[in-house]
Amino acid sequence: MITKEYTFDASYQPQVRTNTDTSRIMLDVIIALVPAMIVSVLMFGAKALLLLLVSVASAVFWEWGYRKLMKKHDTIGDLSACVTGVLVAMVCPISAQWWMMVVGTFFAIVVVKQLYGGIGKNFVNPALAGRAFMMASWAAIMTTWTVPNSLAGIDGVSAATPLSYLYGTEAMPEYFSFCNLFIGNVSGCIGEVSALALLVGGIYLIARKVISWRVPVSFIGTVAVLTLIFGHEGYSNVEFMVYNLLSGGLMLGAIFMATDYSSCPTSLNGKLLYGFGCGALTVLIRYFGSFPEGVSYAILIMNLCAWAIDKGFRNRQFGVTKEDIKAAKKAAKEAKA
Amino acid sequence: MPYKFRGGVHPNYMKAPEEPVVVITPPPQVVVPMAQHIGAPCQPLVAVGDYVTMGQKIGENPATVSAPVHSPVSGKVIKVEPRLHPLGDMIMAVVIENDFQDTPCTDMAPLTEEELKDQEAILTRLREAGIVGMGGAMFPTAFKIRGGLGKVDTLIINGAECEPYLNGDHWTMRLHPEELLKGIELARIASGLDKAYYGIEKNKMDAIDLLNSKNPAQYGVEIVPEEVKYPQGAEKMQIKVITNREVKPGGLPAGVGCNVISTQTAYAIYKACYLGIPCYERILTVGGSAVNKPYNLQCRIGTPFSYIAEQCGGFIKTPKKIVLGGPMMGLIATSLDAVNIKGTAGILFFTEEEDKTVENPTCIHCGKCLTVCPMGLEPLYMYMYFKKGDFENMKKYHILDCFECGSCSYNCPGRMPLTHSFKTAKLLFAKKAADEKARAAAKEAENK
Repeated sequence: MITKEYTFDASYQPQVRTNTDTSRIMLDVIIALVPAMIVSVLMFGAKALLLLLVSVASAVFWEWGYRKLMKKHDTIGDLSACVTGVLVAMVCPISAQWWMMVVGTFFAIVVVKQLYGGIGKNFVNPALAGRAFMMASWAAIMTTWTVPNSLAGIDGVSAATPLSYLYGTEAMPEYFSFCNLFIGNVSGCIGEVSALALLVGGIYLIARKVISWRVPVSFIGTVAVLTLIFGHEGYSNVEFMVYNLLSGGLMLGAIFMATDYSSCPTSLNGKLLYGFGCGALTVLIRYFGSFPEGVSYAILIMNLCAWAIDKGFRNRQFGVTKEDIKAAKKAAKEAKA
Repeated sequence: MPYKFRGGVHPNYMKAPEEPVVVITPPPQVVVPMAQHIGAPCQPLVAVGDYVTMGQKIGENPATVSAPVHSPVSGKVIKVEPRLHPLGDMIMAVVIENDFQDTPCTDMAPLTEEELKDQEAILTRLREAGIVGMGGAMFPTAFKIRGGLGKVDTLIINGAECEPYLNGDHWTMRLHPEELLKGIELARIASGLDKAYYGIEKNKMDAIDLLNSKNPAQYGVEIVPEEVKYPQGAEKMQIKVITNREVKPGGLPAGVGCNVISTQTAYAIYKACYLGIPCYERILTVGGSAVNKPYNLQCRIGTPFSYIAEQCGGFIKTPKKIVLGGPMMGLIATSLDAVNIKGTAGILFFTEEEDKTVENPTCIHCGKCLTVCPMGLEPLYMYMYFKKGDFENMKKYHILDCFECGSCSYNCPGRMPLTHSFKTAKLLFAKKAADEKARAAAKEAENK
């Protein structure tokens, strides 16, 4: 006989939930970034590690400090500040100074993320906004490129990125081969150089259902199609397309930046459109912009459109056909008239 | 080849009880609530001191949408008073002291050969036997089938059992395949149709093979193996998967020519027609980490939860929650004194282990709720407008079309109370409509 008195919770449904919570998702993103981090340390040496560490530490500190100061609950456990920290360092060249990371993460975490309410509320990607802020503040340092250690003997210490050759008048140097671009043996921001490492991370994220394939595929696909069609003198169209895909921040942007949850649309068709917009703007900026690189600004601009895209491209509701929608629109028009 | 529906989640199924169904002795005292269906509650037909037999009708209401209630045991009526209903309220109930004789009631004879082929005779029997939707909705089956006559061209039997933990339907299929097929045949004849479809998820392959080996075609039944995905067993999903028709928002299954009844209902139909046994017992799953031995029980209606827990070896951990039905859509009971009713497909005793609520739920705008919503809705925006109390936008975002399957909340990494909020929102809408009606009536009275 059960004689003991029990009290029961009247909690709400459902009574079971998935094990994947926010910190697990952010941990997955960090895991997906590990290959790119390893490549950056291999290519650029210990300073890359220093930048990453300082960036992560300061991002977590700003998150903790702001929440503490504003007497809000602590959120560093969700690991989103760590992700932002890693990404801020990854979009800087190796010539950046450690204290720039502290300032950049302050802008990313406090101004862009926390002032708007914290995780899920920021309307642009914090890491990219941080980069834009650093570009505006220290334009010279942020565009000084150092070649990876393995290439140092060939071309001195500083060199332009493949992208500046691609859209410039000088011929592409031989050491910027497809192979070197693919594995990351080129100059550029520390996290963006290796397409291979980033793709591995991207496949992991899609397999773990952390991100949807829609944004990266439509983003990269749009860049591929547009560059294949329009081409550039001095390159065959296919060659030009492959260079465009492998160089600059395209992979990093399409896989890790454009897919940022809070600044990207949620509806399925909206995601495709958003990726298309990012791709088209990237190509436009690369062709006609004053910077050789357009990925970060393309994403920031599309971030601002995400809300409108979500409003305009909603998912099809179950049981509602195209005819139903048309009929409803017609009825609304007649009611107005 | 079944069709597919978009969205859905793959929870950890935890289909624990692997022993065959255990028939438990009825408790010394049963409490039979007079409302075990959607519609008008029954009036008690017996008084304190009466002797009732097992299967005797003890409550009835002549209203069209209602179902009579029968005594699950034989014995003496000791009380007729409001008692705690499993869903929370105090509801009129008949309390019977069991004499453990199980003296059967002879009022209801098995149907004759001719009657088993007669639509009207079957429908009358379904009503008399108090058969309701035993998957949980408890809609009177006779009324459902009658209401669909002339409109419904497809009868679907729901054997998906997509909720975690529950596997009472699975066991019913394994133990009583022929009885089930006969029950489905009766439902099909009652609906005036030539064919019925039995949708079963593929995680029950043994049951599918067993049913197929019994030649379902001779009963006019086709078995449809379905993808394993929650909420496969939702009425609208079953219709989509089997007929590729989509129920319109706000519409009824009959609107697209379909009626869906559950496995346990089909089994109850068999018992009512072939054996003359009214609906007073059912198979239910007892599970959860608090219970010593999770079982499938064949259990009389009106058995208190405390008695059921004892039959499963008592508690090994302190239970924190009682879930009626599956953990995704199941409702919460707050007392062990409550009793099981016709629609109780499972009783789960959960401890803190299963609890994943957090102190500060935060929406991270990941859109995972939206990708799993089988209705194609946008839970994150529905929640946002709910929080703002913006009724116009809540409607625009179809909050009223949510059928509360819980997929969004299940999948939410930020642990937002999504489904719960939509439920609350629906109540607010109902309240608002009632208020407006009252105000309009008051105004009219004033004008006069």
